[in-house]
Amino acid sequence: MIHLVGAATVYSPYPSWLNPADNTWQITAATFVGLMSLPGLAVLYASIVPKKWAVNVLAMMFAGFSLVLVAWVLWSYKLGFGSTSLGGGVHNGIWTQQPATGVNTTGTWKHFFENLWGKPGQILNSAGEQGPAVSAANTDIPFHFPTSTLAYFQFVFAAITPLLFLGSVLGRIKFSAWCLLVPLWSTFVYSIDAFLLWGGGYFAQEGALDFSGGYVIHMSAGVSGFTAAWVLGPRLLRDRQHFLPNNLVMAAVGAGILWLGWNGFNGGDPYYAGASMAGAVVNTNLATAVGVLVWIGLDAWFSKEKKPTFLGGVNGMICGLVGITPCAGWVNGWGAIMVGAADCAIVWLAWNFLSKVRPFSKVDDALGVIYTHGIAGFFGGLFLGLWGDPNMIEYGCGTLNKAGQVVNTAGSVVASNSSYLAGSKSCTPFGVDGLMYTGSAHQLWEQFRAAIWVIFWSALVTFILMKLIGLVLGGVRYKDDILEVGDLAIHGEEAFPEESFATRSDGAFALAGLGESSSPPPIGSETSSPPDAAS
Amino acid sequence: MKLIVAVLKPFKLDDVKETLKNLGVQGMTLTEAQGFGRQRGHTEVYRGAEYEVDFVPKIRIEVLVDDGQTDDVVDAIVTSAATGKIGDGKVWVVPVEQVVRVRTGERGVDAL
Repeated sequence: MIHLVGAATVYSPYPSWLNPADNTWQITAATFVGLMSLPGLAVLYASIVPKKWAVNVLAMMFAGFSLVLVAWVLWSYKLGFGSTSLGGGVHNGIWTQQPATGVNTTGTWKHFFENLWGKPGQILNSAGEQGPAVSAANTDIPFHFPTSTLAYFQFVFAAITPLLFLGSVLGRIKFSAWCLLVPLWSTFVYSIDAFLLWGGGYFAQEGALDFSGGYVIHMSAGVSGFTAAWVLGPRLLRDRQHFLPNNLVMAAVGAGILWLGWNGFNGGDPYYAGASMAGAVVNTNLATAVGVLVWIGLDAWFSKEKKPTFLGGVNGMICGLVGITPCAGWVNGWGAIMVGAADCAIVWLAWNFLSKVRPFSKVDDALGVIYTHGIAGFFGGLFLGLWGDPNMIEYGCGTLNKAGQVVNTAGSVVASNSSYLAGSKSCTPFGVDGLMYTGSAHQLWEQFRAAIWVIFWSALVTFILMKLIGLVLGGVRYKDDILEVGDLAIHGEEAFPEESFATRSDGAFALAGLGESSSPPPIGSETSSPPDAAS
Repeated sequence: MKLIVAVLKPFKLDDVKETLKNLGVQGMTLTEAQGFGRQRGHTEVYRGAEYEVDFVPKIRIEVLVDDGQTDDVVDAIVTSAATGKIGDGKVWVVPVEQVVRVRTGERGVDAL
């Protein structure tokens, strides 16, 4: 409620550094991304597993989402996005080791470890929620929203990542093991990769780029899921032989929410409601549409059955989305089409042929996350080095006033776009120099280095965590007699219960004194003529 | 009294039902069923994985009739359900010892 007060006092809902448009878009985008997990991914995964596993998937999805948020605000947001690194390479948002000109291109191990990880801490006090967002990644342009906006936006990304690799481990992992794995994995894998690439850590300083998480999210999820599935061992033989989806219509609902939710996923990552955001959204949808069409076409022409399958289309959709994720705002529309087509074709080939080769043939990655997220993310990140268009500008040049308008040095609003696009001695508009446009393979090399790190770290730490959790819980998978039953044995619930077969046995409603709501009519009392006989 | 059981192609249900109504049959019971005979199953593909499905969707109809009606009803079902292609199904007849209408307690032919 707003109280009208005397003219001497002027209230403002906006701190001086806050831009309402940017803040609005960022929270909106974050909500879109949150919807991708709940219900998007939860419904998609729950409907493409057999009926007996649907509730287990849903329960792990909701628990995982919740666990990440609690860990996020208590310690791990600052691990990933804190303004100071544990090793001291980043201090209050400043890269202390950055050379006077240009980006540090001579990485050393000292440089690496000093810029590996943010300093952990909670963000629950008033300054943590309402103070201006500061991260080591955005010192040249300050954020226009509070810490809680950045923290929530980054939370929904942190949350969806372990939920993605639930697809690899479902059908045998203990619920308790999952509930330990998610916060530990988020802390020791996700937060480190996020700081290294996004939070202003080592790879960010070296120049590796990941628009919205081709490496930090998708490739990491694919590799981690694959590793965890390897430690877990395969699902029951009967489950593998009868792994039919229970509802393709619900799969369409989940998949559709994922696709459109991705507008927030890639559209939110410029952090400003600007031109880059809009381009990223269009590119995302374009690559995805091409991905759907390519997979369906490959299925129809080259699969054994020669049929265009819907779930193949969903795979293609995910490949397109994942492939464009690291590139979204930095390639142009032609690049987006190329990314969607190439990524989808590569993953289709991997799905159909690489899956028959070791180690892929020996690890039971239940929903194939290593292909549609791991391999798709790996190549998507490389495609940025290939098709990054330096004229796709994420941040142009100029100074922003409080209203978020570009002003020149005299402080007046710039009427033309000239300085925004062309830059000046002190500012170069920020775009990505891809091989196809500049002839330089430097970006491709930076991408490759970061990819190798993310693969190595995700696999190593996931392996260690799964082994440790196994020691604590006495095994990470359920015994076979539980796996044979599924949901009913683990949760006491069925995805599609039949009311006629079940009667309440705890007497709760009798105790409430409700009694019979109405007596059934005595036999023979019904009218002899059916209702429609009167007409 | 006889129980006529027919396992038929699902899309023939409307034809069979109308024919039986016209014959004066008072009621029938319908179940969705899966089965195979000489008609082979089919292949389904989910996410690139092939599944052999040996069973084909069918409807199973049960009709109780008086002895004198049996041949007419069987003929009517066969005629209305036939397509001439493999997988049309089967009709069989079994004797029934007793029928009781639950609401009134009527027995035998009166209960049909």
